[in-house]
Order: sequence, then C-alpha cells, then structure tokens
Amino acid sequence: MCETCGCGQPDEFTIRVPGQNENNEHFHPDKQGGHYHTHSHDHEHEHDHYYEHDHQGDRVIEINKEILAENNLVAERNRGFFEGRGVLCLNLVSSPGSGKTTILEKTIRERNEGYPVSVIEGDQQSMNDAERINKTGVPVIQVNTGTGCHLDSKMVSKALKQLEVGNHGVLFIENVGNLVCPALFDLGETKRVVVMSVTEGDDKPEKYPYMFISCQLCLINKSDLLPYVDFDVDKFISVVKKINPTLEFILISAKTGEGFEKWFDWLDKNRKCHVT
Amino acid sequence: MHELSLALDVIDLVTEEAGKNSLKDVYEIHIEVGEISGVDADVFQRAMEIVLKNSSLGKAKVKIRKTPGIGRCTACDKDFSVSDFLACCPGCNGYPSEIIGGKELRVTSIIGE
Ligand SMILES: Nc1nc2c(ncn2[C@@H]2O[C@H](COP(=O)(O)OP(=O)(O)OP(=O)(O)O)[C@@H](O)[C@H]2O)c(=O)[nH]1
Ligand SMILES: [Mg+2]
Ligand SMILES: [Zn+2]
Repeated sequence: MCETCGCGQPDEFTIRVPGQNENNEHFHPDKQGGHYHTHSHDHEHEHDHYYEHDHQGDRVIEINKEILAENNLVAERNRGFFEGRGVLCLNLVSSPGSGKTTILEKTIRERNEGYPVSVIEGDQQSMNDAERINKTGVPVIQVNTGTGCHLDSKMVSKALKQLEVGNHGVLFIENVGNLVCPALFDLGETKRVVVMSVTEGDDKPEKYPYMFISCQLCLINKSDLLPYVDFDVDKFISVVKKINPTLEFILISAKTGEGFEKWFDWLDKNRKCHVT
Repeated sequence: MHELSLALDVIDLVTEEAGKNSLKDVYEIHIEVGEISGVDADVFQRAMEIVLKNSSLGKAKVKIRKTPGIGRCTACDKDFSVSDFLACCPGCNGYPSEIIGGKELRVTSIIGE
C-alpha cells in the first residue's frame, strides 16, 4: 500500500477462485519497491544533479525496443495455449456497467451446444462478478487489479494456471470496465469484443477510437431501452465504421434476449473456424 | 493510468539493457511516443519521472520525442497528417489506406557510462 494515499501499486494483483478464499494469492512483482503513482507531487526541486558527472565515459546504446514487447511476448504465449487447445478466447471490453456480466450469464445458460466455457473476471476490486458467474456452474477465476485499470497478459497467464479451460470451448475474459487502458494490452485473445450500451452516448467511438479500432465485434446492448434513450443505432454504426470499417455489429438485449441468436451464431462460427 | 504500468516496463527494459552493456549509470533514456499510439506523452513523462525516482535508475532523465501521425492514401499516393482516426486524404477525401507513422511506443536509446 502507498503510505501517502493508501492506493496499491499498479502491478499488484490478486487471483481468487469463488469459495476458496483462504488460498488467496497475491502477486507483488515489486520492481524497485517504493512508491509510484500519478498524484501530483512537487517536481520543482528534483533532478538538479543530472549533469554532475563529466560525461567523459558516456556511451550511447541504441535499443529500439517496443515498450509493450514483454506484454506482447506473454500474449503470444497465451495465444499459443488457446490455439493448441482450439479455444476461442474473447476479451470483453467496455465502459463500466454496459452489461458484460449479464451478457455472460445469459450466454452461458442458453448457449447452443454444450461446449465448455470458462471465464476470467477482471475487476479492480470485489469478487461480485466471479460469484455471479460461479452460480452458472462454469469454471471462473477473479483477477483483482487493485489500482490497475486493465488486465495484462501476465495476469491472464497466471490465471490460466488455476483455471480449467476445456478443449474446443470458449474462454471469456471480462476486462476491467474502462474504454481507454485495456485497448493497448493484448492478452493473447482470439478476438476482442467491445460492449456498448444504448444508455451511453453515441459519440463514444470518437472519444475512444483506440478501443473501437482494436476490436472485431461490437455488441450493442440494452436494445430494450432504445425507446427511452437518444441513441441512434445507425448513426453510431456509421461513425464507428469510419474508424474501423471491418468491425461487426450485433444489437442485443441481455434482458429480453433480443439478438442472442445472432450472437450465438457468431460464437459458433468463430469457434469452428478457430478449431480448423 | 496505463502510462504508469508502461513506465514500469521501461524501467525493466532499461535495467536489462544497461546490464547487458555494462553501464553503471544511465543518464538519459530516449523514448518515442507516437501521436496516435494511445499514450499521452505528457502523462507518460510524469509517470516516468515518478517511477524513476524510486528506481535504481534515479540519475536518468527521460527524453520523449513525439512522432506525428501520418496516414497514406495508396490510391492518390499522398501522405497526410492524422491526429485522430477520422482524418481524410486531401486528394480523394477517403480514409488512409495505411498508417505509416504515429504508432511508435519504444525506447530508442540510452546514454550512460
Ligand atoms: N435494461 C437492460 N438492463 C441491462 C441489460 N444488460 C444489463 N443490464 C443492467 O445493467 C447493469 C449493469 O450490468 P452488468 O452486467 O453488471 O454490467 P458490467 O458491464 O458487467 O459492469 P462492470 O463489470 O461493473 O463494468 C445491471 O443492473 C444489469 O441488470 C439489458 O440488456 N437491458
Ligand atoms: Mg461485470
Ligand atoms: Zn486519396
């Protein structure tokens, strides 16, 4: 914990299985220890000492390495794990409260065939979502990211060691509700799905283009509320298509079940083409 | 907030490279951040400063170079600035067929002894 404000370190995370709370595992990669976060500290006083040395022995080392290289490497390993087992892995991203967990509950209960499903739940805190999924009877694991605002590939890799993932099934990863940060972090998923609810503004794509550009499917949820809100579905789709012309769309309601046949067909199609 | 976790990754990467090249001290870390990389260069600069202060690279100064977003229209053979994903080709008003710059997010070099 941070002494100044009580926040956790950004890369401190917890993995928990519902009903096994005693076995909590904590991961503290703990780079150099200490206190790092983005509150506004005073910076005026610092860094006067840079040029104290005489530069005589200075060397320039060319590096040219991607900052995300480590994340991407582990993501590729996860991807290999999924491909080897014929698992369709979907990374679900959205703003908070768009209906991801509700969609998963309904999908798990009503899916077309009895193929295996497992779930990784990412939240900053709490086991609520994992407990909701646990009631559906499929294997689920909760990753709490603490102050971290996204899942990364290492967290998924760790979670996979404790999660039963059936061959030729589907693994859903519910990312932390946030349209900014998760966009940058490849988890090794087969496809990325953005969930957008009609109660959000239809200008979200312009505000968060990185998320919409990085996804292959957009589920537009809460269609049952369309009569009560100002959300123009056609306008929304045409704006997103400018940013990402190949994005697919399915309009659904996790409450009434509207559009779920199309969603189930999409899952079957992507499961099968992934297996071959 | 992802700027902070990326900053921690930079520390790891630089520490490893400094070790490989037997640098005792690192004085400068040069980073390229593209205009459409999804990372805010100013937030990232601050995140790097905070993280560096508490690391074994406390002497290092971060130099971020922002690179512009550049799209290319292959039909018109034109390159043009894209600071968001809605920019169009000045020739045909179409969307860029490819992005040729602005997605960089990398450590280019370090200076030390
Ligand atoms: N009317 C309506 N409400 C919905 C629908 N889907 C979800 N909800 C409601 O929206 C609220 C949030 O749903 P969740 O499934 O918890 O959303 P989430 O995306 O998992 O939320 P976080 O994990 O907190 O980001 C709940 O009150 C749901 O009952 C829908 O299709 N129609
Ligand atoms: Mg949820
Ligand atoms: Zn053109």
